[in-house]
Amino acid sequence: MKKLYSVFKQGIIYENPLLMLMIGLCSAIAVTTNVSNGIGMGLAMTFVLLFSEIIISLFRKVIPSAVRIPVFIIVIAAFTTMVDLVMKAYFPDLSKSMGVFIPLIVVNCIIMGRVEAFASKQKLAAVIADSLGMGLGYTWVLIGIAAVRELLGNGTFAGLQVMPDSFQPILFFILPPGGFFVFGLFISFNIWLKKRMEVTARARELAARKEAA
Amino acid sequence: MKKEMTKLGITLALFASLACASLAVVYSFTKDRIERQNEIQLNASLKELFPEATVFEPVEGLASSDPGVKFEAAYAIRTDSAPLGMAVKAKGQSYGGDAVLLIGVDLRRSIVGVRVMELKDTPGLGANATNPGYFVDKAKKLTFPGQFAGKYLTDPFEVKKDVIAITASTITSRSLTNIIKKTGDAIVAYMDQMAVVAPAAGETTDNVAADSQNQAGGK
Amino acid sequence: MDLVKIFLLALLVNNVVVMRFLALCSYVGMTSDVGQSVGMGFAVTFVTVLATAATWPIYHFVLVPLNLTFLQILIFILVIASLVQLVEFYLKKNVPGLYSAMGIYLPLITTNCAILAITFENISFKYTFIQSISYSVGGSLGYLLAMVLLAGIRDRIRTSPVPKFLEGTPILFIATALIGIAFMGFSGLIK
Repeated sequence: MKKLYSVFKQGIIYENPLLMLMIGLCSAIAVTTNVSNGIGMGLAMTFVLLFSEIIISLFRKVIPSAVRIPVFIIVIAAFTTMVDLVMKAYFPDLSKSMGVFIPLIVVNCIIMGRVEAFASKQKLAAVIADSLGMGLGYTWVLIGIAAVRELLGNGTFAGLQVMPDSFQPILFFILPPGGFFVFGLFISFNIWLKKRMEVTARARELAARKEAA
Repeated sequence: MKKEMTKLGITLALFASLACASLAVVYSFTKDRIERQNEIQLNASLKELFPEATVFEPVEGLASSDPGVKFEAAYAIRTDSAPLGMAVKAKGQSYGGDAVLLIGVDLRRSIVGVRVMELKDTPGLGANATNPGYFVDKAKKLTFPGQFAGKYLTDPFEVKKDVIAITASTITSRSLTNIIKKTGDAIVAYMDQMAVVAPAAGETTDNVAADSQNQAGGK
Repeated sequence: MDLVKIFLLALLVNNVVVMRFLALCSYVGMTSDVGQSVGMGFAVTFVTVLATAATWPIYHFVLVPLNLTFLQILIFILVIASLVQLVEFYLKKNVPGLYSAMGIYLPLITTNCAILAITFENISFKYTFIQSISYSVGGSLGYLLAMVLLAGIRDRIRTSPVPKFLEGTPILFIATALIGIAFMGFSGLIK
């Protein structure tokens, strides 16, 4: 259980797919002009990641390694199409505002990367923990970026007016360059966070060793 | 070697056909709803424009004077007893590609409301035409399409004069205004030709100011 | 819409990288020197145009008549993946010069989202075949342009003092934001 938790935890900060591994960036910046998009994209992505990893993990022993990449692509594409169809049918507005980025989940390197590096070698339980951790790591960053951009760029949060009327939205944040800018600051913040956590972990280790001695 | 290849081929084919089969299942479940989605959206918007209407009757024979603006559907709108106006779904060029608008005109030859059904544009700029939280007039809480409600088609419809533009998106504002104006004109021409008139014709001049304010505030 | 307009729209106004955020993985990963970014840029351009020429007919002459449009994602990605393989084999055998310049980038291209996005948009924007080609050439040259710009800037950054908290990747995104602001100026180019 403890092992599963540590697998789950990896994706959130230490190996955060967006901020540390720098993969799957496109959708992360593109759709984050408002929070609802961020949540929608995060859930869609987590869904595809979870089910692709589960399928690959279940069948890992019967997939010959020579054709594993095409098989991965087929599996991922199938789940992406399902998400696309379901969103078109039940969340047409969300689907329209994210446009081509839903089908693009299929080439999102996070999924391919996790399937190849993790799911094709691990047991089911670990795979579920990994995909949920990675999915959550992806989603929180998306919501974070979207919150900053929507709040400053439009004065709203998930479509609700929160800034006072006198607030003049800073257009820059909602425009494409603002996306890059906010994302850059997020990376910088995450690097700082990771360093700090490492420092405190080391200090704790030292203290423990001292106590033992 | 050959045996190995067949095995690979079979595995691939198996996965591919499984994927296709499962997609076909999902597709058959969602298909109807996806196809009806536009219709659902259109009906909801029509109802918003004419809340008291009960009959939306498709009509033919509306012609666009501008080759860049195409009419996809037109509706004559009535209550059970009296006509209320008309609505047209029009498609025209905007900044990032085609824009689809739904424009409603009432019997006084004024615009009841405009709905942007489809628009591809830059988020934060032209795309604000579809953003319900973006106001071209903050004091009155008027959105870009909202400002047309209550406007008479005899008005000039000039961006930056009687039409407020979206910040830094003059081209989008102009193209959308053009579609609205051309469509509105065509509807008025059709109404005149078909002699669709309001029950009490005297209203047209007196209630102008009051009406346009009412309608603008509501949308 | 005429072809030149589509081309310019894709190349500058809606640049795939700095305005549309596509293909960022390779944008960050492959721009540490100018030569490399040019190689990658041309490889992408080549494959994008080929992919458009292949997927457009497949969609309109196979998927639509057979009512199989829901397989679009699956088919397109498989077509692009096999196309990349074929190009790689062909170049290796017949044009070794070009292969040594471009070959190492080819395997990375399959997961380049710019290519897939352009082929999808050709369909969803309802472009004709010729318009699609124009869109794909413009879009992928836009990618090349953005790659070369960032590679040049990275050269300068290496010898410049950068605020400590922005060192490494963050500064690349801040620089891209600035390139993006410059590109916003192109938006008045098209009426």
